[in-house]
This record gives sequence, structure tokens and C-alpha cells, in this order.
Amino acid sequence: MNWLKESLNDLSDFTAGRPYLGYATEVVDTIEAIIFAPTERSQERPFLRDFIDVKRYMALVVIGIVPATLASIYFYGWRALAMILVSYVAGGIAEVGFTLARKEEITEGFLVTGILFPLILPPTTPLWIVAVGIIVGVILGKEVFGGTGYNIFNPALVGRVFLTVTFPVAMSSNWVEPLTGGWAGLTKYGIDTVTSATPLGQFANEGTLVGLKEVFLGTIPGSLGESSALLLIIGGLFLIVTKIADWRIPLSYLGSVMAFSYLGTFLWPNQVAPPVFQLLAGGLLFGALFMATDPVTAPTTKGAKWVYGLFLGVMTVSIRAFSGYPEGVMFSILLINMFSPLMDDMVMTHRYGPVQKPYK
Amino acid sequence: MNNTTEIFVNGLWRDNPVFRQILGLCITLAITNRVVNGVTMGVAVFFVLVASSFIVSVIGEYVPRRVRIPVYMLIIATFVTLVYMFLRAYFTGLSQALGAYVGLIITNCIILGRLESFSSENGPWESVVDAAGISAGFAAALIAMSVVRELLGFGTLFGINVLGSGWTPWVSMILAPGGFLVLGLLVWIERSISPVEEG
Repeated sequence: MNWLKESLNDLSDFTAGRPYLGYATEVVDTIEAIIFAPTERSQERPFLRDFIDVKRYMALVVIGIVPATLASIYFYGWRALAMILVSYVAGGIAEVGFTLARKEEITEGFLVTGILFPLILPPTTPLWIVAVGIIVGVILGKEVFGGTGYNIFNPALVGRVFLTVTFPVAMSSNWVEPLTGGWAGLTKYGIDTVTSATPLGQFANEGTLVGLKEVFLGTIPGSLGESSALLLIIGGLFLIVTKIADWRIPLSYLGSVMAFSYLGTFLWPNQVAPPVFQLLAGGLLFGALFMATDPVTAPTTKGAKWVYGLFLGVMTVSIRAFSGYPEGVMFSILLINMFSPLMDDMVMTHRYGPVQKPYK
Repeated sequence: MNNTTEIFVNGLWRDNPVFRQILGLCITLAITNRVVNGVTMGVAVFFVLVASSFIVSVIGEYVPRRVRIPVYMLIIATFVTLVYMFLRAYFTGLSQALGAYVGLIITNCIILGRLESFSSENGPWESVVDAAGISAGFAAALIAMSVVRELLGFGTLFGINVLGSGWTPWVSMILAPGGFLVLGLLVWIERSISPVEEG
């Protein structure tokens, strides 16, 4: 994080003395404010060396997701932006309603949920379904547990799983080919519905594999933000370098998927897709980099993070290969979320011996 | 508020079997995907509970304590069989929709619980009022749940289309997950209106 602050300081010094750069000064200051404000440090123990808080944390995650968001507009037209706006407005109303009713401060946690949620939906999802999903996600995924920081499950995934079981037709059979070449989606609002199948769906139903290059660049049908592996990796690396996401979780999750699909292709070649394809296709990278690393629902101890990723990988490969759903990242993360407190507890007990419980 | 009204309101709201005592959930979750099922089940439980409460309150003191549960079961089973046969004879479709759940009223803990805790210790009039209040509360809960579930799941009420033909059915609402979600939300609402006093 220090190198980022230093380079921004240098940039701000550079622009400050040069009035001919016009608005550049303000732009640099704004970026600095987004990432580094507020500057208060913790007043209570434990004292932190860096003054990172929820707002700064969430702002950095949003920056990390920007490449995939821009790609979704390029691939699927401006309707992608409309879905994000609907998600922010509808979910924001639910969030603010609850914070007002409980007389609490409005936290910034929703900024991340509000943008991650539309990015994991099919591009043709009707806007009212987006609104229903984000409201259910915010209320049942977060507010019933007490609000930001208390939720067991990732709120965006709760909304997504509710939509999957409630509107099966809209959510799993309306995939479209993305637009490519030239301005692609930048000149269009949306795509005329030509149904198609995701790479994982094609493998599950017909046993055919899509080329790795297409899957890597993202010119394949899929959810809004998950298609381009390249841009997700760029955003994910940003989060890892700024230490917002712990590198252990994506590494052990992706490693475990690679290992188990490598084993699986020997045992059940018709059901388990080959490792690199599994890694790049579907929502795995999105889930591993942006969902599984959510600090509220992931374990906090280092040992538990490795175990968490291992189990996520086993679940994802199994669901993809042996269930009725071609994709299993969403279900695996929600299922394993339940066990994060248990994993933490086991690591602590192993390290320090049985912990005296604060309750009887 | 005199004694009779108080007993009735207690059963309907403050001791509501579903929202407050969290009893009888097997039936509540299973049959509330249509309003007509909810109403039928509410009426059936009303009949069984009021009738068996009355009998138990009358004969209660003559039943030896050790065999009281089998005796209660016998009384309940008699009335449940009557309801079951009545439904089979006059409302065949409904009877098939409710399936085994009419028979399962026998083992419904709401009924046995009321007989054990109230009717066996109170006079016939109080027992009947209490049974009416509790089963009215149960019916109200069933109807509240089934209105939400049928409206969202089918877009209809009593089978009549109310939300227009363009309504996209919320499939999960007529399946088990919808039952659990709606029950949880209604319990939440009920307890927000009148919070439980922690004893």
C-alpha cells in the first residue's frame, strides 16, 4: 500500500506546480481521496499501523472490479450499466431503510455488493429481477444477521441463489453470445436474444470444449462480469498487491480446483473437464478473487484460509461434474461460508489449546 | 377485557401456535402453497381441536394420569377420521391436494399440547374458547403464509388470477425454500410488532 501512496504523492506534487495540466490536479486528488480518506487511525486497541477502514476497503474492491465492469459494457452493451444502476438504487433503498430503522450509521459495505451482484447475472436478466435479487440479497443475506460485518453468507451470492431457484428459466437458459470487434456493445443498448450455451454448459450437455483463447479473453457466453479471465486476473492482482484480498484464498481455491480436476479427468473423463479449462471458464476466477476473499464471510486465520480454499475447490469440481448444474462456484462458496467460523475455531484450538468461551 | 375474550385473544395473537410457539410446522410448511389448502386445513384443525378440547375438559378428571396420552390420542383420532372421511366424500380434489397431512393432524403438537396444558385443567367453556382462539390463530397463520406464497408463486388467489397473465411465477415460493423463507419473515414481522418478553 505504501508504494501506491508514495506514487500518488509524487504525482500530486508533479501536477501541483504545473497549472497548464488543468484538471489533472483535481483528478489526482480525487483518486487519493477515494483510496486514502479518511485518515483517522484506530483509537482503540489493537492499534493499526495503516488507517484502513470499511470505506477505503470497499473503494479499493470497487476499483479492482472496474476492468471487468468495463468489459461487460463492451461485450453486452449499455444495458449492463443499467443493470448495475438498478442494483445500486434498489439495494441502496433496502440498505438505507434498514439503517434508518435501526438508527445506525450507513456503511459502505453495500457499494461492493451492489456492483458484484449484477456482474454475476446473465446479461439478459430483466431489470425487475435484478431489483428483486439485490433486495433479497441485502435483506436475507445481510440485514437479518445484523448488517455489514455480521453476515454469514456473501449477500450478493444469496441474492443470486434466490434468483436461481425462483426464476429458473430467466436465470439459466437465456445466455447470449457477446459482441466483439470494433465498438461492439459501446454503440448498442442490449443484445437481441439469441440463446446460446456457456462453455461449462456445452461441456456438461454435449461434451465439447471451447477454445482456451476465447475463454481467456472472454468472447464466450456467460454472466455479465465473469467472461474475461484476463481482466478478472488484472483486477484480482490489484486487490492482492494492495493486500485487500488475501492471496492464500485464491491460491488454494484455484490450486485445489486444478488438482482435483486433474485427478478427475483420469477417473471420469466424460464428466470432469480438464484443469485449465475449468480454471478459466465460468465464474471460478470471479468467485475466487472477489467472492471467496470477502473478509466478512471468509475465515480470518491463515491456516483456515488454506483449508477453506481446499474445500471450495473440491465442492466446485464436484458440483460442476456430478450435479444438474453446469456451474458450481456460487453453491460452493455459500456452502463453505457456513464452515468458516468452525475452521477458524479449529485452527485457534490447535494453536492455542481450547479457548474459554465467553458464554456458558 | 373479560376472561373469555382474553383467552381467545391469547390464542389468536399472544400465544399464536405458529408465530409464537413455533408448533405445527410440518403442516404449516407443507400445505401453504395455495390459499384454499390453508383455509381447509385451518377449518379442519378448528373442528378437531374444539371438539376434542370439549370432550377432554369434561372427562379429564376421570382419566387416570398414566393413560391420559393414549386417551387423548384416541379422542383426536376419532375427530380426524371424521374430517378425513368428510373431505374424501365431498371434496375429493382438496383431499388429494392435502394428501397425508389431514391424517397427520393426529400427531400435531398444537392439539396435544392444548389438551395437555389447558383443557385437562379447565372447565368446558374456557376450553372451547381457548381451542377456538388457538385454532383461529393457526388458521390465520396458514392463510397469511399461503396468501404470500400463492400470490408470488402462481400469481393467483383461490385459483383466480389476480396479478395478470404477464406475471412471472416465483417458482421457489411454491417449493420448500419459499415455505421456510415466508415463515421466517412472518415470524420476524410478528415479533417486531409485539416483542417477546424474555423470561
